[in-house]
Amino acid sequence: MFQDVWVWTSRHWSYIGELILQHLRIVLIANGIGIVVGILLGIYISGKGRENLADLVIYLTGILLTIPSLAMYGILMAVLGAIGLPRVGFVPVVVALILYGLLPIVRNTYTAIIEVDPAVIEAGLGMGMSYWQLLTKIKLPLAIPVIMAGVRQAVVMNVGIATIGAYIGAEGLGQLIFIGIQNPGRMGNVFVVVGAVFVALLALVSDRILGLLEYLTTPRGVRTGRQP
Amino acid sequence: MIELEKVVKIYPNGTNALRGISFSIEKGELCVVVGPSGCGKTTLLKLINRLIPLTSGKILIEGVDVQTLNPIQLRRRIGYAIQEVGLFPHMTVRENILTVPKLLKWPKEKQLHRAYELCELVGLIPPEDFLNRYPSELSGGQRQRVGVARALGADPPVLLMDEPFGALDPITREKLQDEFLRIQAEIKKTVVFVTHDVNEAIKMGDKIALLREGKLIQYATPVELLFSPKDNFVRDFVGADRTLKALRLLKVWEIMDPQPPKVRADQSLAEAVREMDHWKVNFIGVVDQEERFLGWLTRPFQYLVEKKVAEVMAPCATLATPNMPVSEALSKMLENGVGNLAVVQEEGKLVGLITFERMLKVLRDSYLENKLTPDIEGVKDVSGCMGVDK
Repeated sequence: MFQDVWVWTSRHWSYIGELILQHLRIVLIANGIGIVVGILLGIYISGKGRENLADLVIYLTGILLTIPSLAMYGILMAVLGAIGLPRVGFVPVVVALILYGLLPIVRNTYTAIIEVDPAVIEAGLGMGMSYWQLLTKIKLPLAIPVIMAGVRQAVVMNVGIATIGAYIGAEGLGQLIFIGIQNPGRMGNVFVVVGAVFVALLALVSDRILGLLEYLTTPRGVRTGRQP
Repeated sequence: MIELEKVVKIYPNGTNALRGISFSIEKGELCVVVGPSGCGKTTLLKLINRLIPLTSGKILIEGVDVQTLNPIQLRRRIGYAIQEVGLFPHMTVRENILTVPKLLKWPKEKQLHRAYELCELVGLIPPEDFLNRYPSELSGGQRQRVGVARALGADPPVLLMDEPFGALDPITREKLQDEFLRIQAEIKKTVVFVTHDVNEAIKMGDKIALLREGKLIQYATPVELLFSPKDNFVRDFVGADRTLKALRLLKVWEIMDPQPPKVRADQSLAEAVREMDHWKVNFIGVVDQEERFLGWLTRPFQYLVEKKVAEVMAPCATLATPNMPVSEALSKMLENGVGNLAVVQEEGKLVGLITFERMLKVLRDSYLENKLTPDIEGVKDVSGCMGVDK
C-alpha cells in the first residue's frame, strides 16, 4: 500500500503540484477577501456605542461556522443561482470559505481592538490624536498579532473545508479524494491517501508560515515568548 | 493663564460632578487640585483639555475660551500625564516622547534633539541608553519619567497631570516629586496637578484647590491651608498633624535669627560674658576669624574669666543649613537633645540661629495672624483664600 502511494506520487508530481496550486488559489482568494471584509467589519463593530451590533455580528458569524459544509454549498447554490452567479465550481466554494473564515478574523479583530489598554487610548487622545491616528498608530499595531492569529486559524480551517468543494465541482486536492472514493479498489485507496496527505501537509505548512508571520508582525515592544 | 468660571459638569447619568467651580491659575504656577475620591478633581482636569464635554461655565486658557478651539489642536498644546502612564507599548522611548512633535510635524533634527534633551531633563541619563528601549524594558519609575517627558514633548505652556506619581512605591514617588519640582523650577509651566494625597499637594503646590463633592472649598497656598483651614472639613483633610506639615514647608532661613550673638574664639571669656549680658543670653556661638562656626560657649564660671574662649567652648557638629526644612531642623534638635542649632552656609560661615522657642513663637504668630482660634467653624475673610459658594 505504502509502496503504491509512493510510486504513484513520484510518477505524478506535476499533476499533484497542479492540484495543490488550484487548492491554494481557492483558499488564498477566499481568505484574501475574507481578511479585508473581516478586519473592516471587526474595526467597525469595535466603534463606540456599537456593543450590541458587535454581539450580533459575532453571534451570526459563529452560526455560519456551525453550518455543515455540504449544507452550506447547498444553500449557496440556491442563493447564488437566484442572483445569477455560477451555482457550481469555483464561485460557491470561494463564497463559502469567505463566510467560514469570518468568525475567527472578525472576532479577533474586535477583541484585540476592544482590549487595548484604556490608559493607552486615553494618553493618545490626550496627546491630540485624531480618531484615525489613534486607530492606525495605536490600536491596529497593537491588535495585529491577535488579528493574525485569527487569520491563521481561518486559513488552516479553510484548507480543509476547500477539499469538500470538489463535491460541487471545484478544483483542488479534493478532486483526487473524490475520484478515489468513486473508484473502489487499490488505486482508489491510493488516490484518497495521496489527497488526504497533501491536504494535511498544506494545512501544516500554512500554519507554520502564518505562525512566523504572526511573530514578525508583532511589534518588538510587545513580543513575548519565543520565536516560532 | 487658566481661568475657570462657574464650571459645571453633569454626566448623562445625572451625576453632578462639578457644581460651579471658579478660580484662576497664574502663569508658571503649579496648582494642585486635591480632594477625597469622587470630588470631581479628575473631571475638572479632563474638562480643561476637553476629553470630557463641559455642561456649563467657561474655561479660558490665555484668555481664549477652550470651547471655541478644535479639541485636537487644543490637546496638542497641553501636556497630559496620567497615573497609569499609558505609554505606547509598541513604540520606543524616543517614539513615545516624540508623539506630539510628530503629530505637529516638527523637522526631523529638531525632533531628535528634543528627545535627547527631554530624556536628560527627566533624569533618564545617559539618554542613548534609554531612547531605543521599549516601555516593557523599563521600571515603573522610569516609565513615569518617560510619561512626563512625553507630556512635555512639544514644550506646551500648560501641563495637566492626573495623579502622575500615584502608582509608584513611596521611595520612588518621593524622588520623582523632588525631581519634578526641580524640573518645574527650570521650565516654569502652568501645571494643574491632581492628587488625593494631601501631603503630595502640600509638597508640590504653589496653590492648592481643595474640592469636595464638586465644590471648591478652599483655594489657597499650602501654608495658608495649613495655618487657616476654612472649616472642619479642611482641617480634617489636611490632618491633625498640620503643624508638623507646615514645619516641612517652612525653610530654616525664614524663621532663624539672622544676627545671632557670637564671639571669636581668640577673644577672652570676659569679653564673651559681656556679649552675653548684652544680648541677655546664657550661651553664645563661637566663630573663627573667617566667621566660620566652631561651637557653643555657655556662661562660664567666674573663676574662668581669665581664659580664652577657645579653651572653654564646646565644639558642635549638629548644624542646620538655611534651606533645610524647619521640620528637619526640629528633628535634629530632638535627636541630639538640644534646643538650638547654628545655621551655617556651605563654607561653614555662621549665618543664623534657630531655637525651639523661636519655632514655637513663629507658629503661634502664624495662627494668630490668620485669626484662627482652634475649632471654630467658618472663619470668614481669610486672606488670600477665595472660596466659592453656590
